[in-house]
Amino acid sequence: MKEIVITAKRINKELLLLLACFIFAFLLNAAAVIIYNTPGIEIFTQIGYVVAITLVLYFFITLIRAILFFVKRLFRRA
Amino acid sequence: MSKKQVKKVDLGLRQFIKDMGYITGGAAMLGTMPWLQSFTPDKLNELKREKARIAVIGTGSRGQYHIHNLLPMEHVEIVALCDIYPPNLEVAAKLCPQAKKYVDYRKLLESPDIDGVVIATPLNWHAPMVLDALSAGKHVFCEKSMALTMEQCKAIYDTYQTTDRVLYFCMQRMFDEKYIKGMQMIHTGMIGDVVGARCHWFRNHDWRRPVPSPELEKQINWRLYRESSGGLMTELASHQLEVCNWATKRIPQSVVGMGDIVYWKDGREVYDSVSLTYRYNSGVKITYESLISNKFDGMEDQILGNKGTMNLATGKYFLENDNTSGNSGIEQLLSQIGNKVFAAVPAAGSSWRPETKKEYKPHYIIEGDYNINDGLSMIGAVKDGSDEILSSFCQACITGDKGKDIVEEAYSATMLCLLGNQAMDEQRLVEFPEEYKIPYMHF
Repeated sequence: MKEIVITAKRINKELLLLLACFIFAFLLNAAAVIIYNTPGIEIFTQIGYVVAITLVLYFFITLIRAILFFVKRLFRRA
Repeated sequence: MSKKQVKKVDLGLRQFIKDMGYITGGAAMLGTMPWLQSFTPDKLNELKREKARIAVIGTGSRGQYHIHNLLPMEHVEIVALCDIYPPNLEVAAKLCPQAKKYVDYRKLLESPDIDGVVIATPLNWHAPMVLDALSAGKHVFCEKSMALTMEQCKAIYDTYQTTDRVLYFCMQRMFDEKYIKGMQMIHTGMIGDVVGARCHWFRNHDWRRPVPSPELEKQINWRLYRESSGGLMTELASHQLEVCNWATKRIPQSVVGMGDIVYWKDGREVYDSVSLTYRYNSGVKITYESLISNKFDGMEDQILGNKGTMNLATGKYFLENDNTSGNSGIEQLLSQIGNKVFAAVPAAGSSWRPETKKEYKPHYIIEGDYNINDGLSMIGAVKDGSDEILSSFCQACITGDKGKDIVEEAYSATMLCLLGNQAMDEQRLVEFPEEYKIPYMHF
């Protein structure tokens, strides 16, 4: 069985991507507070939504990356 | 009743009105509700120890309700009672043992020891008793609606123009603080332009009272027969139509409707189910419905504005674009994105997206405790303005202050009720007759 090596570089890359998703979700929440004129405390109280959006975003980006990876691999074999 | 409670009955709304006047600019607020101008604590204090000598004509359930409201009032003395039905007279006499008893109201009117009369009799007796009482020099407080026919209403109105006597009709919402404050909010634009009104009164009761013997059927269950009653319209709708006119500052020009006896097929002559649309010249409409075989929706007076909805009966209002709807900014954003995504999906079009009623956050017209009339009582609600309007009348019996616009509001509301009945009976659109328009009305 082939060994799968997860390098520190890979981990850092994934964490950076997760961080980017979090920042995007955080800014989205902040924008919503401004647009809908809701209390500023929601930047913190709605952190649950921020986390959920982060994970959903990360999942979809990973899904797209996985699809691209397998498509590239298919062409390489061909 | 304790002295503290006695003071609270009368002073509560008076102080509320005084406070509202100072906060909002007295003249501006009271200009739209001129009947409240003399209903302040200061005016009550001016009465000092004077008492209005009041007689109650019609001591059935509603008459007894008024007696209970009158008894604690310091500026009132009940001096006479009159009813043709002995059991009702006896019950009232126990409440007011010092009052003189009569069976003929004409004899009562001859007494010089009476300043004002409270009339709580069947509708067909309102006009003759009001006119006789005014002619006898008495101040008059009469239950709503004004009268059984349009001709009688006009006769009362015309007589009122020539008398110096006080005349009130029991349109108690005009003295209910929820309605007063709510109207102030409507007239200052809180819900935007008034674009409609939706009123309903639903009960599940046959409207009958126990009858000891068959010959008393029409006397006791007078509400069910056309010779003595205008049915659901005059007994219930009059209040709500008055509220709509108060909100819009206009009178509807036409009405169309349908009435039927759907459930209570017990020999009654009046409808137990009515559904009408009144139309103002601006196009704004009142949708009115009343049914007494289902009470699911209770009683509501909704004034619809382009910016919100005022539900006066429940003391709540709702805003169309309410940022305090309870949803956070991110929730609203995700909801809006979701709606746009689903709208873009071509399969089956937009019809598969449910447009169910949105949940609005209620705001309260009055903060703190207040009474709500659920509309189920056949006698009267607690703290619905009835004791306040009665107190104002009794004060007027002493001061001679005729109370601005009360008769005109009652006349307008009653005319609309009677026109509604005509529309239902004749199954056609009915226009407000020119001969019954009065200067007070704005169409």
